[in-house]
Amino acid sequence: MKPGQQIWTIARLELGRVFFSRRSFWVYLLALFPSVIFLGHGLQTRIQARSWSSQQLTSIEAINKIQSGMTDEQVLQLAGKPVNDNTRKRRIRRDEGPDAEKQPEVRRYMMYFDGKRRVDLRFEDGKLVSRNIRDILNFEEDRKVYAGMFQFFYLRLGIFFGCLGIFINLFRGEMLDRSLHFWFLAPVKREVLLLGKYLAGLIAAALIFGTGALLSFLAMVLPQDAGEVQTFWQTIGPEHAFWYVAAAVLGCVGYGSIFLAAGLLLRNPIIPAIVMLLWESINGFLPDIMQKLSVLHYLQSLCPVPVPLPTDMPAVMKLLLAPAAPSSVPLAVLGLLGLTVLVLFAAMQAARRLEINYGTE
Amino acid sequence: MSTEIVFDNVSKFYGDVLGVNRVDLHIPPGITSLVGPNGSGKTTLMNLMTGLVHPNSGVIQVRGISPFAPEKLMKIMGYATQYDAGPRGATGFEFVSTSLLLHGFSKADAERRAWQAIERVGLTAAAKRKVAGYSKGMRQRIRLAQAIAHDPQVLILDEPLNGLDPLVRAETIALFRDYGANGRHVVLSSHVLQEVDVFSDQVILIANGMIVAEGQIKSVRDEIHEHPSQFLLHCKDASRVASLLFAEAHISEIKLAPEGQGLLVLTRNREAFSAALERIALSGIDIDGVIPTDENVDALYEYLIGGGR
Repeated sequence: MKPGQQIWTIARLELGRVFFSRRSFWVYLLALFPSVIFLGHGLQTRIQARSWSSQQLTSIEAINKIQSGMTDEQVLQLAGKPVNDNTRKRRIRRDEGPDAEKQPEVRRYMMYFDGKRRVDLRFEDGKLVSRNIRDILNFEEDRKVYAGMFQFFYLRLGIFFGCLGIFINLFRGEMLDRSLHFWFLAPVKREVLLLGKYLAGLIAAALIFGTGALLSFLAMVLPQDAGEVQTFWQTIGPEHAFWYVAAAVLGCVGYGSIFLAAGLLLRNPIIPAIVMLLWESINGFLPDIMQKLSVLHYLQSLCPVPVPLPTDMPAVMKLLLAPAAPSSVPLAVLGLLGLTVLVLFAAMQAARRLEINYGTE
Repeated sequence: MSTEIVFDNVSKFYGDVLGVNRVDLHIPPGITSLVGPNGSGKTTLMNLMTGLVHPNSGVIQVRGISPFAPEKLMKIMGYATQYDAGPRGATGFEFVSTSLLLHGFSKADAERRAWQAIERVGLTAAAKRKVAGYSKGMRQRIRLAQAIAHDPQVLILDEPLNGLDPLVRAETIALFRDYGANGRHVVLSSHVLQEVDVFSDQVILIANGMIVAEGQIKSVRDEIHEHPSQFLLHCKDASRVASLLFAEAHISEIKLAPEGQGLLVLTRNREAFSAALERIALSGIDIDGVIPTDENVDALYEYLIGGGR
């Protein structure tokens, strides 16, 4: 049997266990969480828009004519009955200070809807003091939100901990179950066994998190305006979808190799998890060459939409959250694969030395 | 190519704890029993020759193959470990057939061989049940099936007779004899010498990680026969079994075991005792297990080795 066939046989035998292990059930939750959030957001917006449209739809012209200083009655005459209309009267309390008299007696909030945008109006003592118009679905904004979610949650936490759960169990879990000897008693080189197990973990993780990335991306895109969505798919949409899925899959490639090696070298998975998380977090502070030893650095370089960081964010936080100097796409892919090969090579050396000594586990 | 299993000045330590120390062995084909008390180093020796642990010093060769080359060694070797666990959730059949797939057999071949091996250990009816639900004896047998399924030249068995009932024990011993008679190695361990002396060609006595004695069992067998052995019989109808055994001339003593576990039987002839148990079992009386309780192997060594000095 050739090593390639052996690797595939081992991967096939392991796949069922990796996919359906009770230990890694939470991995599915991590992978699907963003899809649920974006799907929920899209559905809620659609349902709300339908409900508002059925109550009262106001024309864009009427909304544009609403100006500051108008009275509530004038607005009602101009735009008709609002979707929401709440009035709050101020209650005077004994302990209120000398500024109490400056406070308005009556506040009225109205909301109009033109089918796409909602207009929130605030009246104080009958006069319009604030007008806020915003799209209920803003594709541009949602894409930035998605980029933020993808980089700060999906890559840093979701795929990170998902791979920890999947890959660390490939060897360490079997030691705890006292079943690793089963594999060691097969006529298979340890290096081949390691690659077979890695392949099983990679297929499972890539499918779970690649699908999760694609589903959440679709859940973000599909509820948007049909015209915008069509334009998006005809231009940059497929490329963006590809790179999000590619970043997720490459994340599994990189983190998978590290946690597989950690499962061979260390007994407690918490230690490599904390060390890795710290390393990935402080990466922005490190010199250029050190930054290249981070999985996250390469993954962020692949993301198609940069995450806008608030201008008033402290510099330290910016360093922690932003990729310091993104690599080019080919360099990012090659760098990540190179890092993975290095880690797998070290893991192979550890696998060759590994002994079955369940008593000490 | 050498046909022996060779240990050349092999030592193994687990941290500060001694596993085995300066072991020199040449194990020829045939049935070889490693005998020693619990913790004496039997399993360490077996794990060393199968590559599950690595020596701190010395060299091991199994028929000319190093245990550091599992891709070659495991083609000619089958090892029934003492570890109970296998792949999680696997049935007996899956446990054996999966192992054969790793050996490179096609699916059809792996399934055919798995059924043959399972039939050989008498587990066909339970093959589709999960290993996790097997009794201790059934687990022993499925591990044995896995070890023999690819028809290895070297069979290593860690305490293979533990927990087997008399009938299965006799069948299993017949299997060992069959294997050992064809120029293959059968290396098994036990902590009770009397359990294995009947069918072993050679015995290696080990204590505290060191080889105490090794040699042809035949030369010491008669001597051991004079030494009475004690067994614990697990059976529901203890009084009936006791009355049948009392009729046997080789029985010196029968006592009720503490806490109603069964009977403690002292015999001067293990072969006759084994035959008597088979007759009782075949007559329809349930005997759930036979466990040698003469665990004071150190005393036995003293008896064996002291007598030889």
